[in-house]
Amino acid sequence: MELKRLKTILRNPKTNNSLTLKSPIIAASGTYGYCDEYENFIDLNCFGAISTKGITLEKRAGNAGERLFEVKGGLINRIGLENIGIESFLREKLPILKEKNIDFLLNIAGSTPDDYEKLAQKANENNIKALEVNVSCPNVNKGCLEFGLNPDSLYEITLKIRKNYKGFLIVKLSPNTSIIKSLAIAAQEAGADCISAINTIRALGVKIEYINDKFVKKTTQGGLSGSCVKPVALYMIKQIKEAVKIPIIAMGGISTLNDLFEFFFCGADAFQVGTSNFTNPTICYDLAVKLNDFMVKNNFEDLEKLKGAIKND
Amino acid sequence: MKDYNKKDYKEYKGKVISNDLIAKDCCKMLIKSDLESASAGQFVSMLCPFKTLRRPFSIAGFDNNIIKILYKVKGEATGYFKTLKANDEVDFLAPMGRGFNIENKNSLLIGAGIGIAPMLFLKEEMNKKNIKNYLISGFRADDEIIKGSDETKIGGSVLDNIENIIKERKIEKIYSCGPNIVLQKLCEITNKMNIETEISLEKVMACSIGVCRGCVINLLKNNEKINASVCKDGPVFSGSEVLWN
Repeated sequence: MELKRLKTILRNPKTNNSLTLKSPIIAASGTYGYCDEYENFIDLNCFGAISTKGITLEKRAGNAGERLFEVKGGLINRIGLENIGIESFLREKLPILKEKNIDFLLNIAGSTPDDYEKLAQKANENNIKALEVNVSCPNVNKGCLEFGLNPDSLYEITLKIRKNYKGFLIVKLSPNTSIIKSLAIAAQEAGADCISAINTIRALGVKIEYINDKFVKKTTQGGLSGSCVKPVALYMIKQIKEAVKIPIIAMGGISTLNDLFEFFFCGADAFQVGTSNFTNPTICYDLAVKLNDFMVKNNFEDLEKLKGAIKND
Repeated sequence: MKDYNKKDYKEYKGKVISNDLIAKDCCKMLIKSDLESASAGQFVSMLCPFKTLRRPFSIAGFDNNIIKILYKVKGEATGYFKTLKANDEVDFLAPMGRGFNIENKNSLLIGAGIGIAPMLFLKEEMNKKNIKNYLISGFRADDEIIKGSDETKIGGSVLDNIENIIKERKIEKIYSCGPNIVLQKLCEITNKMNIETEISLEKVMACSIGVCRGCVINLLKNNEKINASVCKDGPVFSGSEVLWN
């Protein structure tokens, strides 16, 4: 099904570098696999894009022990970037994405600045249209988030990637900071075309049961996602919007049409849906249909007009 | 052998046929849907409207588009499922995961507690194929008994005297489901006796199709430690390969 009114163009106003999407709704990294894993549930061609599971230079086994902890309205995960590595991705998954014509963002993460540089080169060599740089995963010991919380190191990393990658460069920011504006500006100044936010929020899940006269405790420290993080995400998007001119892909607890309106209001240009894919594997498409239907019914010709109305009414 | 690599799972809307308390805190739900096939050891991933994650349940029987599941009422989600009545709609993903590899071997089936659920389905499938089988189940107390076994143990461990039973009955293959502590002990015994064992594991799951890597365990394959997701690579694993942490 074609959703004509949803055509989304994300454009860096300084360089005119742009990314065109069929719909503003993207499946978030880590929740939708590498390529066609969800094809049984839905025609993936209807998606704005899939952000691939985060890819590192070498394959990673991820964290040992329990990786999930469900909380009210959310989920704490500590997967630890388990992934097949860039070479396996290019060899096994990229051909599937191309053959099935699935639009995607390649999500990359690294432990060192060199990792990011090499991954950027690989992406460039393989003509990958869009790169989403994860400098915000709270679940790995080394690298990644540590680069994303300091404006200077974020600037350096982004610059390194920019020099090696000509496509559409998205930097995914962490909410685990009190200086989100400085971080967004650093990414923009170093040449990022777009900001995506938020990654998960650092959190601790604690379960205590009293069994046989003893407190049995279980804790899981990781990143929180799901509907409970939406107010944090809305705040962060608004802050980022106040700081930068490049487009913003918003995520954090999105599952309804009204969520999209709220994020549009705060400055979003496109969206990612993550945790909700687990309960509804077709949600990215369902939301796109709802958004399109709303626009048809209420005479909004395109997303710019809808955004304008949400902000000005 | 069935090809579990094929992606034949989908999202289904089913109708509850019945949902009854059959033992203490234990319910049996029958669901009618368009699902056409399922194998013993596979599971359904049920939507609970107010929860962030779906809930996996072993399929305890499948016949004529009707799925049977058995579940312990423990928390908010199973508390919700308990309230469902005939004709209520349920949303589930199915058939998920790799089931048991049924072979024509004299088989012992062991179900610990609610772990009996996939064993009942397995027994049914084996009976259809005229494969000799013997199902032992274990429960903590009388009021927790779920019927359908050849032998039911109350209190103690379902594994008491298991070595003798294996020898006396000339068992060639073992299938089991239950708490990890039982399965680990069983595997220690059967690995020593060199008897092929398949176990069905349980773990908190997010995606149910292997992409999120949330329900990963470690296996030892060809002397190499590898990750396997319980939802896609399992829930059935070879007892000789699982690394218990």
